[in-house]
Amino acid sequence: MQRTESAALRVQALGKSFGDVQAVADVSFEVRAGQVVGLLGPNGAGKTTTVKMLTTLIPIDSGSASVAGFDVAGQPAVVRQLIGVAGQGAAVDEKLTARENLSLFARLYKLPGSLRRQRVADLIDRFDMESFADRPAHTYSGGQRRRLDVAAALVAEPPVLLLDEPTTGLDPRSRADLWAAIRELAEQGTAIVLTTQYLEEADQLADYILILDGGRVVAEGTPSALKRDLDRDVLQVQLTEPGAILRATSILGQHGQQVISDPTDSQTLQVAVGDDATLALKMLRELQDNSIALSDFQLRRPTLDDVFLALTASKDRVSKEA
Amino acid sequence: MSVQTTGRTTELVVDPGPVLRLRRAAMDTESVLWRDLLRTARQPDVLVFAVVMGVFFLVLFNYVFGGSIGAGAGIDYLQFLVPGVLVITALQGAQQTSMSLAADLTEGVVERFRSLPISQAAVIAGKTLADGLRNIIGLVLVALVALLMGYRFASFGGAVAALALATVVGYGFSWMGAAIAAKVRKPDAVGMLSMFWLFPLMLASTAFTPADTMPGWLQPFATYQPMSAAADAVRGLANGDVDVASIWLALGWTLLLLVIFVPLSARYYRKAP
Ligand SMILES: Nc1ncnc2c1ncn2[C@@H]1O[C@H](COP(=O)(O)OP(=O)(O)OP(=O)(O)O)[C@@H](O)[C@H]1O
Ligand SMILES: [Mg+2]
Repeated sequence: MQRTESAALRVQALGKSFGDVQAVADVSFEVRAGQVVGLLGPNGAGKTTTVKMLTTLIPIDSGSASVAGFDVAGQPAVVRQLIGVAGQGAAVDEKLTARENLSLFARLYKLPGSLRRQRVADLIDRFDMESFADRPAHTYSGGQRRRLDVAAALVAEPPVLLLDEPTTGLDPRSRADLWAAIRELAEQGTAIVLTTQYLEEADQLADYILILDGGRVVAEGTPSALKRDLDRDVLQVQLTEPGAILRATSILGQHGQQVISDPTDSQTLQVAVGDDATLALKMLRELQDNSIALSDFQLRRPTLDDVFLALTASKDRVSKEA
Repeated sequence: MSVQTTGRTTELVVDPGPVLRLRRAAMDTESVLWRDLLRTARQPDVLVFAVVMGVFFLVLFNYVFGGSIGAGAGIDYLQFLVPGVLVITALQGAQQTSMSLAADLTEGVVERFRSLPISQAAVIAGKTLADGLRNIIGLVLVALVALLMGYRFASFGGAVAALALATVVGYGFSWMGAAIAAKVRKPDAVGMLSMFWLFPLMLASTAFTPADTMPGWLQPFATYQPMSAAADAVRGLANGDVDVASIWLALGWTLLLLVIFVPLSARYYRKAP
């Protein structure tokens, strides 16, 4: 990534450990105005810890970060004026209504009174909260609370926005709305950091992606570059019998290719075959020779999912944390 | 410095002088006060509890112990008791500050407060002010019940002064309660701890009984400790027998509490849990 003086957010070799757990290690990236950077990673990858350090919520152990040139550790009071945050847990006042919550945050950001009411009304409209805006937040559904939380991050129209898994728990329609809102903010020049476990989300929204695992950046690049790096066709087979998965794994792996199983699906296996279509054919024949029945197979282009699974799923995360 | 200011609507404050810093802290306190008053209005149970406790003490001590204590000391016990119960009600309010702040601190919104450009001390200042206002309502209600039971203030001015002093002392204690809550965090533990300071102060005080009815070794403590000072001072104001020394002592204790616990609670609060 290009290093420019105009970076809205600059993160250099950021690190944090909790006792023995190295939660974040040597994470560096930059976000320019109008850019969306996605932090992608499985549970425990260090996404939230990174966001918390960048938003002054927990101290930085090593490395540094700056927002619009202001050091996060050195001038937190200035940094807080420049950022908006939607953390992983919804951070709103449960006893207050959406309108009151937004109004409270607008006051605390010291928006002038005239603007305050208008901004609150705009946000309620933009996030489609009218139907519940006047009852207390503890009565909200998870998705409604999430929307309020994200809206609260936008009250002061901050130049830097950090969203920790903003669409978790949203229904498809609300998710699409939020994606549109994020794109619009980026177009207007907001620098956005977005964490997500959804590859599709990162693919759709991010201009640049860092894949984190065990606190480290295991890959980074634009979505298309990441896919290009793994420019290898993928053979995906669906077994008729889940019981055959171990045998099938060893058969597919005997040419040295890494076989990836989807942790949520015990009948599907994937193996990257490069551009060697004959290899795929050979593998299919070997499965047949060993009487492993397939209900489906396909040879396809890699998706970001393949990148993600290849980089994170096959590793023994338990031993990494220890 | 090229700061991209995507339609920002507030001035960036980089290096506020002490005056601006204080003005912004006052604005924050006002905002948090507004929030806490709204919350108080939605949870009237805290206020109800404070009043019920006050009435409970009035009835219990007046009808159960009143005869013996009053006859022993040769005083009209209800006139003695009511100002003491007003002070207890005020300190109970401070205990409530401690417990509800500990509960508040477990809520997610506190995390957002930490990420906002505000004076973090304002979060507690707004809370203690809102609780102070709630305390005034509680005190007025307890005083009304006392009037129904036959208690008489010496004058209207005396009544106002008495309630005001009780509120002020309660306010000092609410900062102590806030400091404990900000340090300890766990609501259960804070509830236990607040008993530890409230009960000894309450029982070994001149709120219920004159000091000279207590064992000799306890008398110095029971005479000068803050709740006794407050009880004596409030009693003097309410009953038209102003005791200037007690008033100064009560105000002195309050000032001491504020000097110690305002900075301390801000410091504890700022530390991430
Ligand atoms: N306060 C803490 N004390 C101890 N360990 C912690 C603490 N906070 C985080 N960790 C550990 O740090 C690692 C990174 O956690 P983090 O919350 O940043 O992950 P994440 O990428 O946000 O995961 P998720 O997708 O589940 O939200 C985990 O191993 C976690 O257990
Ligand atoms: Mg997380």
